Amino acid sequence: MSGECMISVEHIKKSFGKLEVLKDISLKIREGEVVVIIGPSGSGKSTILRCMNGLETVTSGQITFEGIPVTGEANINEVRREVGMVFQRFNLFPNMSVIKNLMLAPMKVRKLGAEEARSRGMELLKRVGLADKAESRPTQLSGGQQQRVAIARALAMQPKVLLFDEPTSALDPEMVHEVLDVMKDLAKAGMTMVVVTHEMGFAREVADRVMFVDGGVIVEEGTPEEVFSHPKEARTKAFLASVL
Amino acid sequence: MSFDFELIEKALPLLLMGAAVTIEITAVSVAVGFFIGLFAGIARISQIRILRLIAAVYADCIRGTPLLVQIFLIYFALPILTGHQIEPFAAAVMACGINSGAYISEIFRAGIQSVDLGQMEAGRSLGLTWWQTMVYVVLPQAIRNILPPLGNEFIAMLKDSSLVSVIGFEELTRRGQLIIAQTYGSFEIWLTVAALYLIMTLAISQVVAFLERRTK
Repeated sequence: MSGECMISVEHIKKSFGKLEVLKDISLKIREGEVVVIIGPSGSGKSTILRCMNGLETVTSGQITFEGIPVTGEANINEVRREVGMVFQRFNLFPNMSVIKNLMLAPMKVRKLGAEEARSRGMELLKRVGLADKAESRPTQLSGGQQQRVAIARALAMQPKVLLFDEPTSALDPEMVHEVLDVMKDLAKAGMTMVVVTHEMGFAREVADRVMFVDGGVIVEEGTPEEVFSHPKEARTKAFLASVL
Repeated sequence: MSFDFELIEKALPLLLMGAAVTIEITAVSVAVGFFIGLFAGIARISQIRILRLIAAVYADCIRGTPLLVQIFLIYFALPILTGHQIEPFAAAVMACGINSGAYISEIFRAGIQSVDLGQMEAGRSLGLTWWQTMVYVVLPQAIRNILPPLGNEFIAMLKDSSLVSVIGFEELTRRGQLIIAQTYGSFEIWLTVAALYLIMTLAISQVVAFLERRTK
């Protein structure tokens, strides 16, 4: 299942003012892998993800994507073309239709023609089951639909990795499964994914590896079976007991 | 005293020409101010520190000094520096444009900052540059919040443009002064001048209200 190393995180630290959010984090994401990061709120798990595509700059240490260091404007732009991100609050562009949301980056960044961008976008909307919403405005869609569009928008750039930052946390409970289903399909299709989530069922079912992060460090990592059924660390046990 | 309607009738064509000049100078000034304000407003929130500083100093200096003094500086003091006399129209547009640019930069800054930060992050994470995200995603959303205060700025500029009468530029207020100098009809003429300003500002607020409804 695990191919070549795509994202390498080496001894990164991150502070916001005096608050040290990440304390010496190292990890590797390999091609085709689904890595799920779990942990309590404020543990730093989202920050790890946001450092991977340069939305946050690390205080020290280094992150590389396929050998490119995630520092400096030019490098970061190059990395972001290949690393898609899905946000907790969708962040669709409300000033344009759904299909235009999918067409913008491929046209401006990949220099695709409008026709090709549109047909690729329509295919992706079909894939997430929303082809009939192409001409709608994002605000006319439900939360679950918006998040599926956001996933399709990220896929439109044909990224090599997708980062998910708590993709179901802002959704009403009945809409969580439709988003998770799309993510499961992606995982089955071999997409490399890093997912920060509170959905333990998803982690257990889909993840190749699970990381438990607390207090800015990776406390424990392993297969879902290892982490969920036989946690070694006391902190992991306490966290799992509180959420399961 | 008697109210001389005949005087108004005779003066009206001249005053209307002045009003046209007032509209012209206001439109050109706000257009100049719009572009200065757009770039200065974006500079206020850019990641480049020196740009932020320059834009902040510009806005503070202009907003902290009277427009009348700025007009004098450009019309009387600038030629001393450059050695070239400056046309009243050019001086008027320059002073008013630079002045309204400072206020408009604040309008743009506030409008842009009212757009959710997640929009910029989403654009950037798709590989778009800061500028691309600004142009295609953030500004189109900001414009809705920018339009009403921009309309107010246009109205304020229209009224403030009366100040350029001091450098002899013949807009509405100056025309009024000149007519009064010949006819002594202070009451009738100033009342007519005020009415003409009021008609223009009311018309502009109607246009702005219409545009606002359309962007909803």
